[in-house]
Amino acid sequence: MKSPFDKMSERVTRKLASYSSRRSFLSRFGTAIVAAPAAFPLLPVARAKAAEPQGTPQTDFERYSQDSDPTKCSYWKYCASDGVLCSCCGGGSHTCPPGAEPSPISWIGTCVNPKDGKSYVIAYRDCCGKPVCSAGKSCWCDGADRELPTYRAQLNNDIIWCFGNASATYHCSTAALVGLAG
Amino acid sequence: MKSGLAALALLPVMASADMAPIPAAQQAYLLGCGGCHGIDGVSNSQIVPDLKDQVGWFLNLPEGRRYLARLPNVAFSTNTDQELAALLNYAVFTLGGSSVPQGAKPYTAREVGELRKQPLTETALFQYRSKMVETLVADYRAAPSLRRYGEDMYGSKNQ
Repeated sequence: MKSPFDKMSERVTRKLASYSSRRSFLSRFGTAIVAAPAAFPLLPVARAKAAEPQGTPQTDFERYSQDSDPTKCSYWKYCASDGVLCSCCGGGSHTCPPGAEPSPISWIGTCVNPKDGKSYVIAYRDCCGKPVCSAGKSCWCDGADRELPTYRAQLNNDIIWCFGNASATYHCSTAALVGLAG
Repeated sequence: MKSGLAALALLPVMASADMAPIPAAQQAYLLGCGGCHGIDGVSNSQIVPDLKDQVGWFLNLPEGRRYLARLPNVAFSTNTDQELAALLNYAVFTLGGSSVPQGAKPYTAREVGELRKQPLTETALFQYRSKMVETLVADYRAAPSLRRYGEDMYGSKNQ
């Protein structure tokens, strides 16, 4: 014998089945699933991403960059420096060692300063006119943030930019701050 | 060139708090063009044409105005028509400074959108430019320094 609860459930179910098809249910359910993430992120990853403060590191380099030692590849301005650091060769992060000339032609990219999380425009200039600097292995860097292949030469770090100098001999690499990115 | 480099060398001593963000058009120029043409529009004048106080001369000729937007690296840039028009206007009217003819109108997004569909890919670019430069120097009193691009270090043509 059916309980009153069973009878009520049966009535409701039969009534529902009489005016709604499975297809319409699936269509409404599907719409709800698609629309839901906009209001309620379903995955914890999406919630974590939304909670990230501005300036959160986006690349491996940015995760480990520092702003205190310009003789290390992890110095923030070197995020796309490819070569030996002039700061290991008697020059600075943005100045050439004595006897080497800065290349007037360079490429320009952006790096994030870990101190304030802001993006800065950086000009990567080579220093030229002397044989390649013989600094230790730790001074040879290969940052590649926001660098593009050689078919986008203006954003490529493999090119030796000394071709615009009287002597095209590569000595070392610098990274000069141009300004705060907009 | 030297003054530009000297100014650049001073920047790293400025505190970041003192810096105003670079305007969008200037930043697009820096990232897309400034490496070769120079931050202030001058680098190696014989290898890369100067823009500073020079590029505006091209607006004297309808063909010259079109030429600037049809140059391959301009036409094929990843910027939208709107962004590219702003970039060109920065390069021509700001960097071009005194070379811009009186009454010259800025590029519009629509104009740039049309011109970039006709990139100069089937042209001997250096000769194309040289012909216009000779007209500009002869008929519009443009600075003869426009001829520097393409000269070798002794002042003679090497292309």
